[in-house]
Amino acid sequence: MLVSNSSPDASSRAAIRMLKEWLPGASEVEGSADLDISARSEQPQLRSAEIIEGSTLRARKVPDVTPGMVSGFGAFLDGAQRVRVIGRDVGVPLVLGTTSAAVRVRVDRRLITWALEPPRVEQKLYLPLRYLPSVAEALRASYGRKYAGNGTTEQVASHLLEAYSRQLQQFEVIDTSTADESGNFPSEHPAVLLERAIRTVDRQRDALEDALAEAWCASAAGPVFIDGGIGRSERVASSANAIGVIKSHFTLYVEGEALKTVVDLTRGERSSVFEVSSRSRNTVLSWYLRLRDPVGHDVFWGLVRIEMSQCDNPTERADEISRWVLAEKSPLALPDGRWDKMSYGIRDCEEFLRAIS
Amino acid sequence: MSEALGRVVATERRPNTPHEFHFWTAIDSPVGIGTIVRVDGTNPVDGQIPHIYGIIVEGFSYTDLQTPMHDVLGHDGLPTTAGYAATDRAEIRLYTAAVLRQMPEEPLQPVPMGQVFLAEEADVQVALRMDSYLRDGSNTGIPIGVYRAGGTEAVIYLDADFLLGPEAAHLNITGVSGLATKTSAVEWLLASMFKHFPEEKGSIAAVCFNVKGPDLCYLDQPGKIEKSDEALYEKLGVEPKPFESVEYFAPYTAKGLALNTFRNNEALLDNVTPLTWGLREVLQFAEVLLNRDDIDAKADALIDFIVQNVVDKEFSDPILSKKHMVQSFADLDAWFRDVLQGMERKDGESWRTHHVATIRKVRNRLSNISTRCAGLVTDSGAVSDLPFGSFEDRTVYVVDVANLEEDAQDLIFARIVSKLREHLERRDLGVKHLVVFVDELNKYAPGDGPDTYVRKMLLDIAERGRYLGLVLFSAQQFRSQVHRRVVGNSGTSLFGRMDPDELSTPGYSVLSPATRTRLATLEKGQLMIRHPHFTQPIFVRFPRPAVMQGREGSERYPQASDVSLEAAILRALRPLDPTITLPWVQEITALYTQDEVLRARNATLLARPDNVKAYFASQFRKIIPAQAAPRPMAGSIKSAPENDPYGF
Repeated sequence: MLVSNSSPDASSRAAIRMLKEWLPGASEVEGSADLDISARSEQPQLRSAEIIEGSTLRARKVPDVTPGMVSGFGAFLDGAQRVRVIGRDVGVPLVLGTTSAAVRVRVDRRLITWALEPPRVEQKLYLPLRYLPSVAEALRASYGRKYAGNGTTEQVASHLLEAYSRQLQQFEVIDTSTADESGNFPSEHPAVLLERAIRTVDRQRDALEDALAEAWCASAAGPVFIDGGIGRSERVASSANAIGVIKSHFTLYVEGEALKTVVDLTRGERSSVFEVSSRSRNTVLSWYLRLRDPVGHDVFWGLVRIEMSQCDNPTERADEISRWVLAEKSPLALPDGRWDKMSYGIRDCEEFLRAIS
Repeated sequence: MSEALGRVVATERRPNTPHEFHFWTAIDSPVGIGTIVRVDGTNPVDGQIPHIYGIIVEGFSYTDLQTPMHDVLGHDGLPTTAGYAATDRAEIRLYTAAVLRQMPEEPLQPVPMGQVFLAEEADVQVALRMDSYLRDGSNTGIPIGVYRAGGTEAVIYLDADFLLGPEAAHLNITGVSGLATKTSAVEWLLASMFKHFPEEKGSIAAVCFNVKGPDLCYLDQPGKIEKSDEALYEKLGVEPKPFESVEYFAPYTAKGLALNTFRNNEALLDNVTPLTWGLREVLQFAEVLLNRDDIDAKADALIDFIVQNVVDKEFSDPILSKKHMVQSFADLDAWFRDVLQGMERKDGESWRTHHVATIRKVRNRLSNISTRCAGLVTDSGAVSDLPFGSFEDRTVYVVDVANLEEDAQDLIFARIVSKLREHLERRDLGVKHLVVFVDELNKYAPGDGPDTYVRKMLLDIAERGRYLGLVLFSAQQFRSQVHRRVVGNSGTSLFGRMDPDELSTPGYSVLSPATRTRLATLEKGQLMIRHPHFTQPIFVRFPRPAVMQGREGSERYPQASDVSLEAAILRALRPLDPTITLPWVQEITALYTQDEVLRARNATLLARPDNVKAYFASQFRKIIPAQAAPRPMAGSIKSAPENDPYGF
């Protein structure tokens, strides 16, 4: 996932100009810039997981690691997002979000964009319509009569949004003030509304990545290196071609002695394979792998967690995939700050998405 | 239309301008320094989609690597493991192109963003403005070579009006020695000009001074042509064959027996004419042979007096012992001797305002000329010269001065060019346009050093020759060391492989570093061209000349070695009459001195009579062969009378 900062661009100016037609009182945010949302992730936590390779989690040397080992990955998949508060209407943040995702295929050792599914780039306005009555009223006045009496209120609202987006031409509007699973609406607190918008943008990016990952798995074009987990989509989670590599460790699937084992992994060592499952995600197999020597660095230096679909031979498969991931250590992903865990292919995806979005 | 090979890019730090733009291509794109490209704009200007033509002058390549250290770290400091990387870094090929032409030409705007295409043959014509002089009915194009890039092959034409005048003129070639690029280029270009110079523009000929080696000595002999060259000839519309009409001129050696040229092999002598001048021809250009100290005002006045009043005139004076008719250096020396003896008799210090010291000095200098230029200057006054007034169309006249002393070279050059100029001014040379090719311009027209007569002449041709139809094709190794007005007046410049030191001089600073690098590594047969119609230099390939190269010629036709007088006469006359034999020559010349025999030979060669034997024999004075005197009859000795006491 790419998070970037940049100066106000033409899109932001166009979006605020259009919004001001509907919200005359809205104020533009001077010098608006992309939000650094990397620090807004979930709280660190430890979770237990079922070990499926042996009875206890232990360190294993990845076998047959040689300088000339060949990576089996034929492609890399990553997504990116940019969130920018472009204005405010009486404290309500008006957010412009850009999400994108792409698959970069390796041909003759060079990465090119996957021709079968072009990269996806979406730029949308994330507005809490519940707290922007003038926008909602304008929508109803313009289009409400047409849909009156047809379908449910939700359907009418959906139609209205679609029509409204067409009017705005460039920007689809996403309502960020809908009720959550518990039926609760977000409060009017600007920070809450902004957090809602950011999470919505996150989901939009996840959706783009999942769509591309599913398309890749359907094409059976070979293993793809996915930046992040693969459990969101059932099709992806069950595909042998989808390999997820997670760089962040806010959630550690180990506790107690197992945690110590993972922290003590040395370069070229992996943990035993365990099973990751949750209510909201599909079950996948996972393990930790140390890519680089952590001596002199923090405990997560060069540590990644890898996800793959369930299989009958998890040991052999985990060893093979670990070798692939280790083979992707070079070239370095510098100057990216996460280069100790990031493969060059993923950096290439991010640079590509930065260029097109 | 071909596929786009690149896209124009511009950033605030590196913007495009009306004269330069940047674009990137795929890694394997077939472009390089010197490739011509076309940019198709996307937004119409005045209702017309702009097309911009440019030539690549610089190239950049880099990856997303931020510092070399990252690569070292990435491979654990082991270069051998670099090849194991699963992915090659993202890499860019970024080129800078100089604008050749914008269509439409007004308004002149910065190059817009757009797709970049490899220029096709038609594009090249437009880009180089060749379309203006390649029109049907007014085609003045002279093929100079073929531009090649990425599958495009386009003939590059020079505009005859800008190569041979009157719009611009002259051509200068620079390149390192040893690759034969300069000579080959001139040979090729002459062949192309003779073929393509428009008939309606009149006749054309060339005078080439062969100043070193045998390179220009076999222009009428076929050379080896490879298949690739044949294809070039066909593309350029020139037949790969040697020059049909070539005349050679060379002075004799100091001994006077053989011609002083690499082309004095008997098999090649049929179109070699001796070059000999007499007193009058030399005195006109005495300034060439006399240094500044020699030709002070007094000496100059005396020389002028001699030219005006003595040479070829019957001259008498009270102090002289006899009337003089000075027609040769020998006559002149006799005249000087008589003048000085007369002054001594009168015990006078001056004669006709000329001091005796001046007279002695001029005598010394002038008499010296026939020695310094032996073989060229004849004591007898016999003249054998270029056919001024009857030059023929599409003919090359080669004057071989390669083996001569510097003085003689200067004299030949100065006199021939002066005569050519005179005739062209009078429009009676025989041809309307004449190309004069001079190599080693570093020597003849240096940027520094004394202001010699030859340099002044070259400057004069460069600055005013085009109005007369006198065009200078010059060549040298170091353009930076040639007089600026000579190279500056050359409308067209060709560059072969260049010496890096030469390229570092200020004159080449207008070229990009990449272009300079390419110039330093040009292959034989490649040239960079600057021409008034081309806004940027263009690289072309030209075919190997279809004439025998100097080295091959000198091996196949070895230079004749010194021979006896009779053999030399035989060799000179047999091309005129194959029936002449050595015994015949020996019989005819047996009674005469070497000077007399050579004089007879020279006269015969000059006259080229129908009956060579008779003419040659008639040149000798009558000599009755010596006969043994009859032995006088011895008288009988009278016997003394016995009674004669005195014995009577």
